[in-house]
Amino acid sequence: MKRVLEGSHAVAEAVRLAKVQVISAYPITPQTHIVEILSEYCTKGLMNARFLRVESEHSCMAALIGAQTAGVRTFTATSGQGLALMHELLHWASGARLPIVMAEVNRALAPGWNIWVDQTDSLAQRDTGWIQMYCEDGQEVLDSTLQAFYLAESVNLPVMVVLDAFYLSHTYEPVDVPGQEAVDRFLPPYVPKFQLDTAHPCGFGPLVAPGDYMEMRYHIAMAMDDALIRFGEIEDAFAAQFNRRYGPVEAIECEDAEIIFVTTGTLTSTCRLALQDLRAKGEKAGILKIKLLRPFPYERIREELKGAKKVAVIDRNFSFGAGGIFAQEVRAALCNTPDHPPVFGFIAGIGGRDVTPEMLTEIYRQTKNSDAPQKESVWMGLHEVKYAD
Amino acid sequence: MIMNESANPNPLFMPRTYLTTESNKTGSWRFARPRYDEKTSPCSAACPAGEDIARIEMLATQGLFKEAWETILLENPFPSVCGRVCFHSCEDLCNRREFDAAVAIHSLERFLADTAIRYGIKPDLERRTPRKQKIAVVGAGPAGLSAAWFLTLLGYSCRVFEASEEAGGILRWGIPAYRLPLTALRHDIKQIEAQGVSILTGKPVTAEMLEALKKDFDAVFMACGHGLGMAMNVPGENLKGVGEGLDFLRQIRDGQTPACNGVSAVIGGGNTAVDVARSVVRLGGKALLLYRRRRRDMPAFDPEVEMALDEGVELQELMAPVAVAQEEEKILLTLQEMMIAGEENSRGRIVPDHGKIHQVRVDRIFKAIGAQAVEPWHQPDAADRDMLRLTHTVLNRRGTGAVLVFGGDLTNATKSVVHAIASGKQAAIALDALFQEGVEAVVPRMEACRVGDGQSLSMEVYLGGERRLRNPHVVRYEEINTDHFQFIPRVTQPRLLKEERARSFEEIDLKISAQLAMKEAESCFNCGICNQCDNCYIYCPDTSVILERDTQGRHINYDYCKGCGLCVVECPRNAMSLGEETP
Repeated sequence: MKRVLEGSHAVAEAVRLAKVQVISAYPITPQTHIVEILSEYCTKGLMNARFLRVESEHSCMAALIGAQTAGVRTFTATSGQGLALMHELLHWASGARLPIVMAEVNRALAPGWNIWVDQTDSLAQRDTGWIQMYCEDGQEVLDSTLQAFYLAESVNLPVMVVLDAFYLSHTYEPVDVPGQEAVDRFLPPYVPKFQLDTAHPCGFGPLVAPGDYMEMRYHIAMAMDDALIRFGEIEDAFAAQFNRRYGPVEAIECEDAEIIFVTTGTLTSTCRLALQDLRAKGEKAGILKIKLLRPFPYERIREELKGAKKVAVIDRNFSFGAGGIFAQEVRAALCNTPDHPPVFGFIAGIGGRDVTPEMLTEIYRQTKNSDAPQKESVWMGLHEVKYAD
Repeated sequence: MIMNESANPNPLFMPRTYLTTESNKTGSWRFARPRYDEKTSPCSAACPAGEDIARIEMLATQGLFKEAWETILLENPFPSVCGRVCFHSCEDLCNRREFDAAVAIHSLERFLADTAIRYGIKPDLERRTPRKQKIAVVGAGPAGLSAAWFLTLLGYSCRVFEASEEAGGILRWGIPAYRLPLTALRHDIKQIEAQGVSILTGKPVTAEMLEALKKDFDAVFMACGHGLGMAMNVPGENLKGVGEGLDFLRQIRDGQTPACNGVSAVIGGGNTAVDVARSVVRLGGKALLLYRRRRRDMPAFDPEVEMALDEGVELQELMAPVAVAQEEEKILLTLQEMMIAGEENSRGRIVPDHGKIHQVRVDRIFKAIGAQAVEPWHQPDAADRDMLRLTHTVLNRRGTGAVLVFGGDLTNATKSVVHAIASGKQAAIALDALFQEGVEAVVPRMEACRVGDGQSLSMEVYLGGERRLRNPHVVRYEEINTDHFQFIPRVTQPRLLKEERARSFEEIDLKISAQLAMKEAESCFNCGICNQCDNCYIYCPDTSVILERDTQGRHINYDYCKGCGLCVVECPRNAMSLGEETP
């Protein structure tokens, strides 16, 4: 059934339909709407779940690690500073192979105190062993959340569903909310591969000597590789049920494109508009939208970009001293292929600033007019700073 | 040990141990040591009878009404009476008062007593082996009967001599039925008799008879109270139509209906004055209550004054009688208006407001300005330096003869029912210590059974019960972890409508249901005592709180307790303490 939902509520609907059993969260803008409505669902009995209030995000993740180890499906949501506070336990969740699902609403990190969109918070958790999916609209958020439980549980790794603050979390759009029966046909109930059992007491996560630790890490690496294959299978099953598919990346008019934008999140939608204008003017442009950051779909990216003359990666994030994080990832994907296109890095929309079709057209113009990137990153739309006296 | 959790496709090579960590005795890290340390609740220390209120409310919460009632009886044989007429200083010091409102301890005591009556419950109280000494008690009021009750529990044989035709003293003859119905009083007295106390009514003790008692008994407890009204020392106070308030109340309690037509002036500001005024209203008269200080200085309990005014009693503050005269059928009462010249002992210090003289014409005057001992020999000799003067009693031991003990109103600074009970208990403990261990033991034994840091004594502690293990520290509000409590409105005492009250002597305060009582009892912080809430067990990060089936219900396993102190902090009621670890 189509409903007009804000992105936050699209997440919540998916969590309800996934029959999550334990939810824990600490409120933080712009994530709060998600757990607010979920706590209501718990109170009203619309969900048969325990909602655990905690005093911090660190405790929240610790509580979910405990709950998931006990053998139930769990969920949380956070943003920015909250995610940063969880950091230690993000490693624990993946190392303990717990299929926890989290909605992460991208929020700029302080200071200056800023509640608006910026991907640096989730990208800073790139190496924690979590699968990360970046979403473009409300429908993708709902669908990805449902898929996230399936994917997490099939590879025993936690999944982060990432969405932009406000542009997605607080924007109302028509979203097709599937019925419970259809979801049940797609998503099997959670069957833990291991769990706490009072009849067979044991300790989880004890000391491991160098003789074994490396193999454990290797198994996580293998699970990440497998996640890419499983993601495809899960998308097939999802498409069979709901007739929607997103892919680890989405190539838009890339077949004959000479210059390809690489985008993530809601910025992709704006770019689709800019692309229409460019194509109308006869420009051979295309877009490669990246959904999966981890596992990173190297093969698909190389494949989609191989025919392009230039690649313009637009990053709503920044790694100080290096550059835009997606640009680095794309460069890393391409560097070992012969005659790969040059990668232009652009920084735009940091801390919630608007990225307009005009700015994207300007990025296109700059890329087209340069033979090679002049520097690692070009910051778009910077203005003169006025200092206080 | 490391396990592969699933065959495939994703190998789960994960750390897992099946070894016990018991060998790692984390208790060796401890430098602070938590322990169960039950303390004293402020209510119990404030109760002159030293009732174990925090425990009583805990038992009531659990629906253990008989046990709760017996816990009262251990310290006070008059729950039915005190649940009605006690001024409940316990509630004034209730820690919950700082949170929202004091627990309605008074209503709960009444509920427990009513419940015992309703179901005909008999108490199962331990009695010590019989002792050879015999004790005579003069006066079957609250002090005398309490002394007899406790002495009987202590194994002595007691005989109470009462001048009136029925036992109860001030409870029987001085407190009107609308506050204390006969059934309630008689139940408590029957209970005392059932314990083995013999009461001889219609047996006034004269000076000669006292000498005989001293020969026949090992001790005599003098608790004959104050039965003689004080004089106003104004001209005309002995005229016809000027009477004692206590006599008036006694007539009513005796079943008579004394004339109350027209206006009756009542002089005084204590409970007797208020009771006289309210009784006048009930008999169809108009009552004019005259008090020489302000309303807020009145010793009468404030709710009683409030209800008296509701019922139609007229109060005139700052009025002192200066003369009484006959004027045809009426009595002319001359009053000096007083003014406040300062504060003393939290009451107004008054001086005459010269020139402001008022006259009222009334049909009669009742004096209720206090009472004194009927006979001089009822009182301990103030000049006698050999007497052992305790807080509520005075002990006179001369040579080898009988011990003479004075108690109740004869010695109490505060004249209240519960202070009389405290006096009876003190006399019983003093006599037992004296008989068993000698006079030197009296004060130390008394000290050892004090509740907290106050004057109240506990018979349970004296008898060596569990309560003796309590720390005398009185729990303060700041020591309660209020995070574990919710705001709950205090139970409202249901009462008769004022229209119903003003025309009968029916009991005003109505019963509360068991459901309400349990809800109210549940609001009690149970300051300082463990109610087995399990917070220590739940919060212990080292699973070092071990549950067991004994009275404490749990103990700390010091092999593993790291001394983090979480249990102590999360104990909502300060029933635990954290001390330094001694090597």
